[in-house]
Amino acid sequence: MWSLSHITNEIHEWLSSTFNPTWTLIFEMVLAGVAVIGLFAVLGLVLVIMERKVSAWMQIRLGPNRVGPKGILQSTADTIKLMVKEGMTPSGADKFLFNLAPFIAMIVAMLLMAPLAFAKDFQLWDLNIGVLFVSAISSLSVISILMAGWASNNKYSLLGAMRSGAQIVSYELSAGLSVLSIVVLAGSLSVSDIINSQADGWWIFKGHIPAIIAFITFIIAVTAETNRAPFDLAEAESELTAGFHTEYSGMKFALFFLAEYVNVFIVCAIGATLFLGGWMPLHIGSWDGFNHAMDYIPSSIWFFGKTFFLIFLIMWFRWTFPRLRIDQLLNLEWKYLLPISMINLLLITAMAILKWHF
Amino acid sequence: MNGSDIIFYLLAAMTLVCGLLAVTTRHIFRAAVFLLFSLIGVAGIYFWLQYEFIAAVQIVVYAGGIAVLIIFSIFLTQQAGDKLPKQRIDRKIFGALAAFCGFALVMIQVYGHTFFETEEGEVTVSVFNIGKKMLSITDGGYALPFEIISMLLLAAMIGCIVIALRTKKENS
Amino acid sequence: MKFIVKYIKDIWGAITSLLKGMRRTLYYFTHHKEIITQQYPDNRDTLNLPERFKGEVVMPHDENNEHRCTGCQACELACPNGTIKVIFKNEINAEGKKKKAIDKLVYHLELCTMCNLCIEACPSDAIKMAQTFEHSVFDRNQLTKILNNPGSKIMEGVE
Repeated sequence: MWSLSHITNEIHEWLSSTFNPTWTLIFEMVLAGVAVIGLFAVLGLVLVIMERKVSAWMQIRLGPNRVGPKGILQSTADTIKLMVKEGMTPSGADKFLFNLAPFIAMIVAMLLMAPLAFAKDFQLWDLNIGVLFVSAISSLSVISILMAGWASNNKYSLLGAMRSGAQIVSYELSAGLSVLSIVVLAGSLSVSDIINSQADGWWIFKGHIPAIIAFITFIIAVTAETNRAPFDLAEAESELTAGFHTEYSGMKFALFFLAEYVNVFIVCAIGATLFLGGWMPLHIGSWDGFNHAMDYIPSSIWFFGKTFFLIFLIMWFRWTFPRLRIDQLLNLEWKYLLPISMINLLLITAMAILKWHF
Repeated sequence: MNGSDIIFYLLAAMTLVCGLLAVTTRHIFRAAVFLLFSLIGVAGIYFWLQYEFIAAVQIVVYAGGIAVLIIFSIFLTQQAGDKLPKQRIDRKIFGALAAFCGFALVMIQVYGHTFFETEEGEVTVSVFNIGKKMLSITDGGYALPFEIISMLLLAAMIGCIVIALRTKKENS
Repeated sequence: MKFIVKYIKDIWGAITSLLKGMRRTLYYFTHHKEIITQQYPDNRDTLNLPERFKGEVVMPHDENNEHRCTGCQACELACPNGTIKVIFKNEINAEGKKKKAIDKLVYHLELCTMCNLCIEACPSDAIKMAQTFEHSVFDRNQLTKILNNPGSKIMEGVE
């Protein structure tokens, strides 16, 4: 049967039969790198046009509709424009850190791709602490923002970076706790184990109400972590012009922009993996007929379908809710999300010990 | 020299060069960033050793926690972009001496130690094993350190709350 | 206990109000007929301007080339930035009396902010806002308009 894992196996066998092991490894690493960069480019184009169309339709507008049929080539045209634009460095800036920051943002986003399972048996690196790896690496993304904000030598950038730092550091807690609740239920940190534990139903259905609460806190926390509205204080247009990337232009700005969208994709992919079963088709307990029918839909379509559903959810938040003030933001985290997710984690642990879940 | 060795030397070089730059640069923010890269290099060596759990903890605690804390304190205290004054020569000498003493101590230990190949089979570091070890009170278990650290964190949290409450009272 | 009840009520209120907002945006997202964007240069013939859109000040004349302006200068006084100038002439009416009447009502479109104060000030409804908006010209003198038609005179019975 046609599948992504089949293709990778074919490539691996052909490479192993043609070259010696070292060269095979090098070629496979290069292929994986090219695939990740290609996925980045496609994601950037698709997500930007999707965001613009979704925002337009939610605000009773038309959105981009001139470049290409129905405007779908708009983001391609924007990318070409950004690539040929001059990337300026302000004179008072710390040039080294200023130019390094967008690349750090991109590298962090690339590293986060490693443990994601895009389809059945299609994963770059199935390490046994996959989920912990993701939360560890995503805590590095704040560094690039702080770097960009400081190196720009601009008070708006610095304010944006400070806000974003406070926001990411505090929302990491509730995101981590809600991730942990699924780890408790699945009994493993490995992404493939978590997906396999959902073969008889997704955790959001199997885990009763506590899993749904964990899902809601997770979505709120990751929306804040990716600095998107209603938590976009770091780049609040009306207050700080563009926050930490005020001074960036051309391709360096494009890298920040791309990293933001790729981060959205990654957190949604993690959410889909943990709560909605990743590439696992919709299975219900022991209804074998139904489960077999669902298996005919390829696993990659399940994964991307769930991920894009969550991305749509986050975009829906962005174009519905007004921006929070900084004190409201911190109140929401420390007075509501954190206590709720702690109690929720206790409930889920009790549930996992007493085997109350399905 | 095979691929694995090359990766090790690259990671070691990154750690050492960034560590050296962290102490020689005169921009305090750059020093913090180089320190961060140095810590990430150490995490990379843990990954190379396939101790993924320790590597992830290294990144969470040092890179994601302590480095960000240092950067925040720089933001709150230092003027942007100011160069630090040049260090006095005696301080430089004492600093180099202290670093050399530490290095010598480690090297003496490493060379004095006889390494031998383990006969035990490969151990997979699953979450189950980590959790078991963390709570075991047998030889080599981490129950006592775990509890002591949790006491320390509790004390720190209570201290934070007390400080936060006091300033509020004075303001009103 | 009271605190906990309030806490839960807060959360419930927040969730329901947020869901209400999301329902509205989802409605707009799925109902493309509601889109209000006008694709202007393409739909010039079928352009659908809102009722209160204001383009420029005009003075309507009837078929006998008569207007309703008495020349009371209320519009000139009401205008915040001197857009309207009323120039008088003396006219001899049917009874042989001299009577003041407008010669020209000069309107500087380039100064006008479409604030509607002149229309509200006018006691005899002589001027109104038109919905034309394609005003660009190559010479700014063309923007200085005379609102009354040449040879027009005041309508009978308007004081």
